[in-house]
Amino acid sequence: MDPQSTIILGKAIGAGLAMIGAAGGGIGIGLAVGGAVQAMGRNPDHTPTIQTNMILGVAFAEAVAIYALVVSLIILFVLS
Amino acid sequence: MNSFWNGKRRFVALLMFLAGVFVALEVPPVIPFIQLPGEKFPEGFDIPFTGIRWTNTMVGSVIVWVVLLLFVVYVSRRRPKDGNEAPPGGFYYLFEVLFEGLMGFVGGIAGGRHFRVIFNMFMTIFLVVLMANWMELVPGVDTIGFIHPHVKEKYDAEKDEYKLVTTDGYEIYQGFLGISYVNGQCNWISPADEAAADEAALASADAARLAAMDEQAVKAAYARYQAAHNGHGDEHAAETTAEADEASAAYDEVLAARVAEKQARADRGCHTGVATAPWQDGYEPYDKTKAKGISLHPDPSSEEAKLVPWVVLPFVRVPSTDLNMTLTIALISFVMIQYIGFKALGIGYLTKFFNFGTLFKSPLGGIDVAVGLLELIGDFAKILSFSFRLLGNIFAGSILLFVMSFLIPILPWPFFILEFFVGVIQALVFALLTAIFMNLATISHHHDDDHDHDEAH
Repeated sequence: MDPQSTIILGKAIGAGLAMIGAAGGGIGIGLAVGGAVQAMGRNPDHTPTIQTNMILGVAFAEAVAIYALVVSLIILFVLS
Repeated sequence: MNSFWNGKRRFVALLMFLAGVFVALEVPPVIPFIQLPGEKFPEGFDIPFTGIRWTNTMVGSVIVWVVLLLFVVYVSRRRPKDGNEAPPGGFYYLFEVLFEGLMGFVGGIAGGRHFRVIFNMFMTIFLVVLMANWMELVPGVDTIGFIHPHVKEKYDAEKDEYKLVTTDGYEIYQGFLGISYVNGQCNWISPADEAAADEAALASADAARLAAMDEQAVKAAYARYQAAHNGHGDEHAAETTAEADEASAAYDEVLAARVAEKQARADRGCHTGVATAPWQDGYEPYDKTKAKGISLHPDPSSEEAKLVPWVVLPFVRVPSTDLNMTLTIALISFVMIQYIGFKALGIGYLTKFFNFGTLFKSPLGGIDVAVGLLELIGDFAKILSFSFRLLGNIFAGSILLFVMSFLIPILPWPFFILEFFVGVIQALVFALLTAIFMNLATISHHHDDDHDHDEAH
């Protein structure tokens, strides 16, 4: 295989592996939103508070997935 | 709003759809050449008095600031001087709804002694990031720009000379309204690569011929030829000819595949690096010395333009897709968090990080020290998480828009709606986290009266 193809192959596999990290963020967001929706269902009066905290929690969980995304974007578009 | 879309005005949507179809047919969509860092403008586009070249994300941020400034001027001029004046209406109402809604929202989270500082910071960051994020929805951003050749000067240490290196890109054509377009149907292939592919096709055709007529078959054919000459009938001679035909058919078949490939490219209006192939008449091998003579900015309509790949360098790019912008806002937010911490708690704010007070007093004092150091690291990690969260979301969003506009050029609207909401949520998260961290910094680590004061609100 010529070097150019090897580089592309390595980049593609690396970027794909880096995105495995997004799974954790997905699980985290699912748990947070699931919990928040249950809480809102039981306690509709407190919806604004719950929503704010949910968005915060989701943002924190998402940040980890976004790190994985940034790493894979850097592998794809910056490494050469 | 509803009455506007009733009746005859529905044709606007149809017109937009038809315009989409027309443009998609006239100018085939292109997957842009994606780059993470902000792209530098060509030479001669310096920021005055600095010597720094403009990048397209900088232009984006300048537009954001100008729009926000106009917004501020408008709102402060329209603001009623006293309560009895008639409200000015229009766009002003939107601002009031936004302002009052967010004021209540932040008041519920950080409504304490430092509410004014925190809310100013919240609103500034929210508006800046929101404007920056929404820029990706504006037509022309990321798509209209300089068409420039994607060549780089690279220093070759062995030969002590500079040479031009070509990378990926597209071919260009002069199309609709005489504008130069990047041709999304034609990935650029360098003439050298094209010549190499021709040679490879020739070599594999030769191999196919040899396989069809391998050595043993040649010997057998020769034997039959001898036998035929010795007087026994013409049947064997015919067989030999058939075998030779088979070999040449195999040769032609392999070459035909390559010819078809080149023809398909030519049919799409693309150039092929060499006009003819080695097996055709008038073969001209690609002249390597030509590549050295290519200027960095050839005229798009010249013959030279066919020798280099072209990409679009947009005039304006979404500022939040550049780490410089997100990192700057993250640093400002970090500094403000520390500032308000010191302002509220004085020098005692540092005990949050260097908590040696309980080290020799309580058996668990060591844990307090470790927790303080963790908080210190965590505070610096905020810079990283703030900047990367915004960058990752918006950069991924704009790539999503590129790809969807390429795949379904006439109906990418749902993804624009998605990005509209992602822009709001990311701006809100950025500003909200800043507000919350600022509020946390004002609360003392020890449960003293300052804490109770905040609780009272």
